[in-house]
Amino acid sequence: MENKSVQEETAMPSHKIVVRSLKKSFHKLKVLQDINVEIKEGEVVVVIGPSGSGKSTFLRCINRLENINGGEIYIDGKNIHDRKNDINQMRANIGMVFQHFNLYPHKTAKENVMLAPVTLKRLTKEQASKQADELLVKVGLSDKADAYPSQLSGGQKQRVAIARALAMNPQIMLFDEPTSALDPEMVGEVLEVMQDLAKGGMTMVVVTHEMGFAREVGDRVLFMDGGYIVEEGTPRELINHPKELRTIDFLSKVL
Amino acid sequence: MSNIMEWKVIALFVQHFSTFMNALVLTLEISIISLAFATILGVVFGLFKISKIKPLVILSNFYTSIIRGTPLLVQIMFIYFGVPMVFGFKWPMLMIGTWKVTSMMTSGIVIMSINAGAYMTELVRGGVEAVDKGQMEAARSSGLSYGQAMIKIILPQAFRVMLPSIINQFICTLKDTSLLSIIGLRELTQNTKIIVANNMESFTMYFIVGVYYWLIVNVLTMIASWIERRTSYGK
Repeated sequence: MENKSVQEETAMPSHKIVVRSLKKSFHKLKVLQDINVEIKEGEVVVVIGPSGSGKSTFLRCINRLENINGGEIYIDGKNIHDRKNDINQMRANIGMVFQHFNLYPHKTAKENVMLAPVTLKRLTKEQASKQADELLVKVGLSDKADAYPSQLSGGQKQRVAIARALAMNPQIMLFDEPTSALDPEMVGEVLEVMQDLAKGGMTMVVVTHEMGFAREVGDRVLFMDGGYIVEEGTPRELINHPKELRTIDFLSKVL
Repeated sequence: MSNIMEWKVIALFVQHFSTFMNALVLTLEISIISLAFATILGVVFGLFKISKIKPLVILSNFYTSIIRGTPLLVQIMFIYFGVPMVFGFKWPMLMIGTWKVTSMMTSGIVIMSINAGAYMTELVRGGVEAVDKGQMEAARSSGLSYGQAMIKIILPQAFRVMLPSIINQFICTLKDTSLLSIIGLRELTQNTKIIVANNMESFTMYFIVGVYYWLIVNVLTMIASWIERRTSYGK
């Protein structure tokens, strides 16, 4: 298998995320069969694949939104599925952005961003307020600080959600189909913010159908199907010169 | 209604205004305090009900099935007459500052709280389950504990959903306090019974007390819709 060479090459301590023989099933349905990935600090990994291939589940296992049935996931060398480790502390280091934004509807944009650092006493109210202003500038929404989610467009909501995830100053960001629920004209503004993050050296795992983004921003692309990583490589290798039949088949449908 | 009838209603209304006011205050006090306790009970047992800890789920189901499965009148007599007899105590009279809470009132509040609490439990469960699953996930993924996520994110949204039902429960509790007349507590209905026993004007007096209930219930309904409009954030 070709992912052997990747494993050897990256078997160094700078790994942010290490996934070993991860298995996950819902009742009798095996969603993840045997996933092995190692992700370096600052790497942007894009996960693609047909729906039902397990890519979202894989992402959700990384911060333990799903419990797993086998294998291990290490974040900075700590097993996140080990009950002895403080899950809340570990999750605070991993930002997550959802397909349906999941903004808190009873809080303004700024309050959404401030909530976690204030609740977890990472920052005082004043510090969090200052930080929220800066983050909203970063995602281009400084004028929407006092707007409620219901007053924002899809693209604006998702950018607030990114700012909210960044408020805990995470070292890893997970994106679960961040543009899939958006109208086409709003996809660009969200991808732009993500691209800036990638340039800033954030470790990112992105589940997406945006091949353009995968090609331009991704350091590595994983193609998943049937609960396995079928093929992986640089965007150029995988998207332009896929080797596996299933990858070729999938790409012929989405490109 | 004849002319004399109308005059009689007004005359009796004026004559008994002060005792009705006292009874109204008592009715409202019991309703408000009971609903406050019921809300606490409802949140606790509602969260038990949706928890993954089996004994808590069973305990909560037991509580709601007993209360919802027996008449309130029976619960009132059981708690006021039955319970003190077996456990050898009297419902205490409390002094809170200068405010005197009679033993009948204490037990009335206990009964109405436990009763409304069971209905609130179902409301809280329904309200929490109505909040999108993604809200809990977003909160947990940012590092909040289950409890923090509940308090900061889920419950405020659940209460928003529940608000009309909570007001409805308040209206039910308020009307149900009339059953407390059975233990002699001088709330609106008992007050009317006492007056009727003296002047035999059952038609007029029960009509008047009906108007009192109708008025408060409708004022509450208006307040409810006002609160509802105010809390629809940014819509």
